Amino acid sequence: MSLPLHLAALAAPRSATNQINDFLTGVKPDFVPDWALPLTTALISVGIAVAIISLVAMSGTWLERKVSGHIQCRYGPMRVGWHGWLQPIADGVKLLLKEDMIPLGADKPLYLLAPALVLASILGAMAVFPLAPDFYFADIDLGIFTILALTSTTTIGVVMAGWSSNSKWSLYGAMREAAQVVAYEIPLGISLLVPVMVAGSFNLLEVSNGQAGGFGVLNWYIWPWVNPFMGPAFLLFFIAILAETKRAPFDLPEAESELVAGFMTEYSGIRWSFFFMEEYAAMFLYCVVGSFFFFGGFESPLTSLARATDVHLLVQVAAAVTIIAKGYAGLFLMMWLRWTLPRVRIDQVMTLGYKYLTPLALACVLGASVWEVFLAPVLPWR
Amino acid sequence: MVIVKRKDLSLAERLWLPEIGRALSMTLRAIFKPKVTRQYPEEPLPTTAVTRGQPRLRILEDGENLACVSCGLCEAACPAYAITIDGHETERFIEREPEAFEIDMLRCILCGFCEEACPKDAIFMSNELELADFTRAALVYDIDKLKRPTAALTGRMDYFYKVTNRWRNSSSTS
Repeated sequence: MSLPLHLAALAAPRSATNQINDFLTGVKPDFVPDWALPLTTALISVGIAVAIISLVAMSGTWLERKVSGHIQCRYGPMRVGWHGWLQPIADGVKLLLKEDMIPLGADKPLYLLAPALVLASILGAMAVFPLAPDFYFADIDLGIFTILALTSTTTIGVVMAGWSSNSKWSLYGAMREAAQVVAYEIPLGISLLVPVMVAGSFNLLEVSNGQAGGFGVLNWYIWPWVNPFMGPAFLLFFIAILAETKRAPFDLPEAESELVAGFMTEYSGIRWSFFFMEEYAAMFLYCVVGSFFFFGGFESPLTSLARATDVHLLVQVAAAVTIIAKGYAGLFLMMWLRWTLPRVRIDQVMTLGYKYLTPLALACVLGASVWEVFLAPVLPWR
Repeated sequence: MVIVKRKDLSLAERLWLPEIGRALSMTLRAIFKPKVTRQYPEEPLPTTAVTRGQPRLRILEDGENLACVSCGLCEAACPAYAITIDGHETERFIEREPEAFEIDMLRCILCGFCEEACPKDAIFMSNELELADFTRAALVYDIDKLKRPTAALTGRMDYFYKVTNRWRNSSSTS
């Protein structure tokens, strides 16, 4: 698929370099050829992205087990390390050592490719996610567009896994995933248009900068005085990301009470854990996107304070802490919902997506654009 | 035919959102509730006098000799054939004492018949419940593993005397 020319121009990074590249250019000895630089930059970036995904997945599984435990008046893991914080490592070792089974009737190449594809699409989406205002892998004008495009690619991997497993449960799960994700892509994209309209940019850094000021809190896009349609848009966005990341109450692709484990029924060991890593990384990524577009991104009282000291490194660290904290807050909210709500039926999922969320999202965009065009210019605080 | 009259839902109920909010507040409160899990090895199950744990041999108040006279009644009463006693004569007033007293804990079914059969109040079901080892041989308990001071068994003894109305055996001090 080739993008139209103007879109392709927008998708290109604004500058060919990032901090890793600059650093490497500074320390490069003479005998290293020039072409090695972008390659090394790419490798280091991928390494950092993989590390982030693994850390998020590990902390996510731990957090999930703790949250689910505490909601059910249990403790969750308590044995490995303080309150079980090393449990994900023990789980990882277990999964690595487990036998990697491939069903006899499976379509082997597709079966092996599916987990890799699922993880790769999330890794690709990580490229656009800025870790701090001045630390990012790629500063792309179409940032959110790229993230949405790449994260929805995971569906292909999931369908691939379901189809190649040669199992009815897997196939049902994959079909549900495909139907569900297609249905919820629409309200997800449309509801994100509201903050994009207010910010006037697809770029995550610019959206974050647009919410600066007001002690780092008052200019967040979620507040009704910025745009009253932002709250409903966030609600729609949040429901849509729950469905996109296959989280309860929309976890029909897994639906362990009906479909064993849905599309990952036949997977075992480390390949199975790839799906899990993808799930938690996608959750975190969507939560971060949500905090960028609705909850101020890098802006928080902490960042404002750091900015007042005028120390560059301090601002970066404060911004990184802010965005990670907001991401984990979103993660907690998703887990909290999972252990509160029962799973809905697939027809209810489709009804909600097509009949309610999509029209409501369109109405939100309409209302928000009317507000932006006619009211925002005359509001004194905008 | 039964016509079930269903309640008409209000708009707020059909929207789900207020109810979801209520549910969320409930689960959030549950997070801070006291936990029901018992952290087992650190927090063992509380035992009472009624707890019928593994059988143990009572050491007399003098602190060294067992109350057991190796009469073999418990051995005979044991439905699982877990008890093996080898007695010998002694200079003490009771004339006989066990040379070897073994309970195969793998066979023991913790029924308490030995406790009831014992005429000398020498064997009691203690409150010890943990039973695990790496070999079968290690789970055949000998005298050294079985004997307990009277103080450790007093609770069970008092309960046992109460429910059986058994007269406290005066000869146990001999």
